[in-house]
Amino acid sequence: MSREVFITGLGFITSIGNDTAAVTASLREGRHGMVPWDYCGNPNVPIKVAAPVRDFVVDSPSWRDWTWPARYDIPRETLRGLAPHGVYAFCAMEQALADAGLTHADLAGGGTGLFCASAGSAFMLHHNLAQARASNFERGNPMGVVSSIAGTLNFNLAAHYGITGAVTGFVSACASSSHALGYAIDEIRLGRQERMIVVGAEELNADTLLPFAPMRALSTNPDPATASRPFDTARDGFVGTGGATVIIVEEASLARKRSARVYAELIGWGQASDGHSVATSHPDGAGLREAMRRALRDAEVTPEQIDYVNAHATSTPIGDRAEALALRAVFTEAGAHPVISSTKGLTGHGLSMAGAMEAGFCALAIHEGFTPGNAHLHTPDPTCEGLNLPHQSESARPALVLNNSSGFGGSNVCHILRRPC
Amino acid sequence: MSETSPPQHPPSPPARSPLAKFPSAVRAAHDRFLNSGDIADLDTVVIAVVLDHQPTHAKKSGEITAPDTARLIADLGFDSLALAEIVFFLEDLYKVTITNEELMSITTVGELRAFVRAKVIAARPA
Repeated sequence: MSREVFITGLGFITSIGNDTAAVTASLREGRHGMVPWDYCGNPNVPIKVAAPVRDFVVDSPSWRDWTWPARYDIPRETLRGLAPHGVYAFCAMEQALADAGLTHADLAGGGTGLFCASAGSAFMLHHNLAQARASNFERGNPMGVVSSIAGTLNFNLAAHYGITGAVTGFVSACASSSHALGYAIDEIRLGRQERMIVVGAEELNADTLLPFAPMRALSTNPDPATASRPFDTARDGFVGTGGATVIIVEEASLARKRSARVYAELIGWGQASDGHSVATSHPDGAGLREAMRRALRDAEVTPEQIDYVNAHATSTPIGDRAEALALRAVFTEAGAHPVISSTKGLTGHGLSMAGAMEAGFCALAIHEGFTPGNAHLHTPDPTCEGLNLPHQSESARPALVLNNSSGFGGSNVCHILRRPC
Repeated sequence: MSETSPPQHPPSPPARSPLAKFPSAVRAAHDRFLNSGDIADLDTVVIAVVLDHQPTHAKKSGEITAPDTARLIADLGFDSLALAEIVFFLEDLYKVTITNEELMSITTVGELRAFVRAKVIAARPA
């Protein structure tokens, strides 16, 4: 377990920017991606705000109608198997490979693996099933299955890039891409792979997001400037977002051999489950508390050494409270006061993508030298007492960062990132 | 706090022609065929649909033709799913039905062209 794991490439298609420079600027300046949003042309839908990706049109079930930035070349035979969020993932992948200085040829030979996370495309599934049912399942989109079920990202990207190492997908709802990154760390530590590509992506559309409305998990606040306000007393649910994040991790000696730029080192991770409720957090954040402690043990660091925590906090009343209590148990009770922020106040909640996106933000914070703040947080919930929750981003460069994620069923995952020596 | 840029909208796409992104000459040929029934115009559309579905990796540089003798799988790089996509595309475009057995019997561009001609002419009102 002595092999070091470096982050050497990042790609972002997000509501706050479509490359690392734009994302960094948005995080530093507290620029959010929320706008008034009409999900499905029905004025009675009570959800009025979302955080869309710019410069893409992928709102049709036919790939012929899609548009994306011209700098990305997606061949037809790849495009036809993609879901809308697969287009985001493809573009983030191209970006991350270029960022890491890698070509397609570098991905051959079995040394590179691919772990992906998305919920699949409910939108495509819905459309394809309706079409196939209407024709007695005799005809329909021949790529309907591979473009819509969970796993669509790994099917498509492995085939397109000729990746022959470990390839699979992770499904733990909003902890999915954090699981993908955690297990990617293990693949390298165990000597199974020398390079792992981690992909998280989701769609922003009625089919993916609005099923959260009857759960009362989405904010009904119509003001884009305040709808997503993690840890605030007035929070009333999360704001949906889509996009993709790609993280390339490499075993240290490989990264050094090719003189790769290193954003951050991944020095540990941990996971623990609440074992409590199918849909809501443990009231005390018990699983998340244990996941953080396991990650700290794995990384062999103490709570007071952590400079910054990127919280999972999505702006829901129950989830944010549970996380605040878990953070107090792990940090405040140990006399530690790291800066804590939820960047979902800027981005909205990217579901399966959230964990990888925020691990990417942590890597940027370490590399670019800033600590993200809590956009839209004005009156912290009383359960946050003792937590250091600055409103504005700070210019301090964190040396040690902890990234939290939680998903349905009480799955909790934490990563620990360190500034490279 | 400010928005980063204007959002993509509207959320519901307008209904588009299946040929909306094809060259204007192909769309014009399609319109002419529907109006006049000229078989040469139908051939133009079928060849354009074949080329549109051809895998990029199989295209030789500069090659933009699909001669009658070209085998769809062996020469043009199609797989069976891409062939099914062509068939469904043409079915939708001309409101005809092509069975799996019929599809299996087609191996070359010329056979596909002749087959679509026969199907579409049979389906046209006399």
